[in-house]
Amino acid sequence: MNNTTYDTDMSDSKFISANADGPAESTDDDYNVQIRDVTKVFQDQDGNDIVAVDDLNIDIRRGEFLVFVGPSGCGKTTSLRMVAGLETPTEGQIRIEDQDVTGLDPRERGIAMVFQNYALYPHMTVRENMSFPLRIRSYPDDEINERVEHAAEILGITELLDRKPSQLSGGQQQRVALGRAIVREPSVFLMDEPLSNLDAKLRIQMRTELNEIHQRVGKTTIYVTHDQAEAMTLGDRVVVLNDGHLQQIGPPQELYDNPINRFVAGFIGEPPMNFLPSTVHEEGGNYVADGDFFEVTLPDHIAGVLDEWNGPLDQLTFGIRPEDLNNAELLDDEEYAEDRSIRATVKIVEPMGSDRFLTMVPANSETPEFTARVSPESEVEPGDEMTLIANLDKMHLFDDRSGENITY
Amino acid sequence: MRSADNGHERISYEKRQAFWDVLESPKVIHLILVFSVLLVLIPIFWEVLTSLKTNDAVYSLNYIPRDPTLSSYYQVLIGERYWKAVFNSLVISTTTTIAVIILSVPAGYAFSRYRFRGDNILFIGVLFSRLFPPIGLIVPYYRIMAWLGLLNSLPGIITAQIYLWLPLMIYIMRNFFMSIPSDLDESARVDGCTRLQAFRKIALPLAAPGVAACAILTFLYSWREFLFSLIVTTDLKSMPISVAVYQFVGDVSVQWASLAAASVVAILPTILVVVFFQRYIVSGLTAGALKE
Repeated sequence: MNNTTYDTDMSDSKFISANADGPAESTDDDYNVQIRDVTKVFQDQDGNDIVAVDDLNIDIRRGEFLVFVGPSGCGKTTSLRMVAGLETPTEGQIRIEDQDVTGLDPRERGIAMVFQNYALYPHMTVRENMSFPLRIRSYPDDEINERVEHAAEILGITELLDRKPSQLSGGQQQRVALGRAIVREPSVFLMDEPLSNLDAKLRIQMRTELNEIHQRVGKTTIYVTHDQAEAMTLGDRVVVLNDGHLQQIGPPQELYDNPINRFVAGFIGEPPMNFLPSTVHEEGGNYVADGDFFEVTLPDHIAGVLDEWNGPLDQLTFGIRPEDLNNAELLDDEEYAEDRSIRATVKIVEPMGSDRFLTMVPANSETPEFTARVSPESEVEPGDEMTLIANLDKMHLFDDRSGENITY
Repeated sequence: MRSADNGHERISYEKRQAFWDVLESPKVIHLILVFSVLLVLIPIFWEVLTSLKTNDAVYSLNYIPRDPTLSSYYQVLIGERYWKAVFNSLVISTTTTIAVIILSVPAGYAFSRYRFRGDNILFIGVLFSRLFPPIGLIVPYYRIMAWLGLLNSLPGIITAQIYLWLPLMIYIMRNFFMSIPSDLDESARVDGCTRLQAFRKIALPLAAPGVAACAILTFLYSWREFLFSLIVTTDLKSMPISVAVYQFVGDVSVQWASLAAASVVAILPTILVVVFFQRYIVSGLTAGALKE
């Protein structure tokens, strides 16, 4: 059908052989994709500049599963599209396989992409969809068949090969889209919110499958999502973006335990971290965080940070995750500590089975509501007043002026 | 809670709903539809009746012909000028259709997919050219055709037809392409296509119903176009059927029955086209309204 040979064939096979040579032991400087000083400026209807991505620098290791996460409009999809070659960076450079690809067409980059709406070609069968990237590159027929069947087997869609996309369910379409990416054996997989059109149950199932497929195929994957749970479960490393700026990059647990600023702290984790306005003062050689309705003595490691801190002590926000607030009644005497207690009224109880989410309102205070995630044995009802004991080893203090985590 | 309307006699919610219920009832809707269809069919029916009379009998004011005769048809169909005109119309409509499709499909695609400097102005310009009443363009058009030496020629008429229908078809094709998600083209480009291949292998096959609708509409429109054709042709060798029919209108008298017979014969091909391709016309024109 298509007898033309394209330049991309050469670069493609180079990518494949490069991968075959040594994906197994990747060293830290074996970068597959590098985003260097990349800025993207769009013009809106009135000709005003909108900075979608501002001076982004990320090195992506071979075989890594990297997740871009952030609220809508944070620049995550734009970043992905620049790696794909569907947008051109206003400034900066994209490098794939140590080669500057900034000006190259998507087809010349050795990438495969899965789109949010799957982008299956409606006029082609599943087999034709999956073989399209190979046919356009004039691969021999038997190799095309072999690769398509192999990918179909991995994804469990062998019996669907002769159907049209419109005859498939959302989950099946998703698998076909993945299959079309896999048959390419690309250097890098790009995925733009691939699970967001699936219903909740299927999304979690496909999330697990994606993990499995990534472990099997072992290729570098850049994945965009607005869902922090997907980011946490899928990513080897997670990039948090906001307003076009890189906030923090690191393994999910690190982002969760040690967020660099208030944005990351509030974005990663569900329910999100509680932020309680407070002032800090020194009392008998200790630092005490004083909110409107609570007073806690800060532990030594926080005191050490505060000794070094030159900012004002009265403009700090006390941050603590819901699961680090425990029901005082369920703790034994040793764990109970007056100087770590927070007293408030229960407003809403949400039993989740494994835990209970409590929405708390502090009595006589302007402080907003906060959440506690307590054990299911806690027998509390809306309106009850209760004491929560904070696990201060996991607390954070945020600078109100910059949002920065001073305990980072 | 007090609104400014308080104190005024207002039609109650129930009464207003009852009014709309009546208006939306199947009987009323069918009545309106029947009326609309009659509005379209009665003139055609009248024309058919007229064509069954003789030219003289037209002036005796009966609706139903006393002695129905096919003599008018005979008179029209034996004439060489009629068949020549049909041939001319076929050449004009086919050529126009091919040219309009070749130009409007890529243009519509470009307008649907690419942002470039001045794209909006250009697109409005395309539509703007259709805002003039065509009659206003007759004089410059005649002058240009005279200057190009295209008076009394098929290329002269074809040029006018392309000018007349291209903007509308660009508009329809743009809307059609906009209903095809651009993810598909982008996916094709990532899969290995150049921009042109993504258009040819993905967007174009998916736009086939739209292309068909545009082709049919262009064919029909250029088949029946009268004004511009009339201006550049006085000569039988380049006269399309729409103008040839008009030849029965003389300086002193009008041969009504012959005119009617010729008109009936002239619309037959268009009726056939519409009957066979209505599926495409409908799907093509409503595509923009459907999501995926």
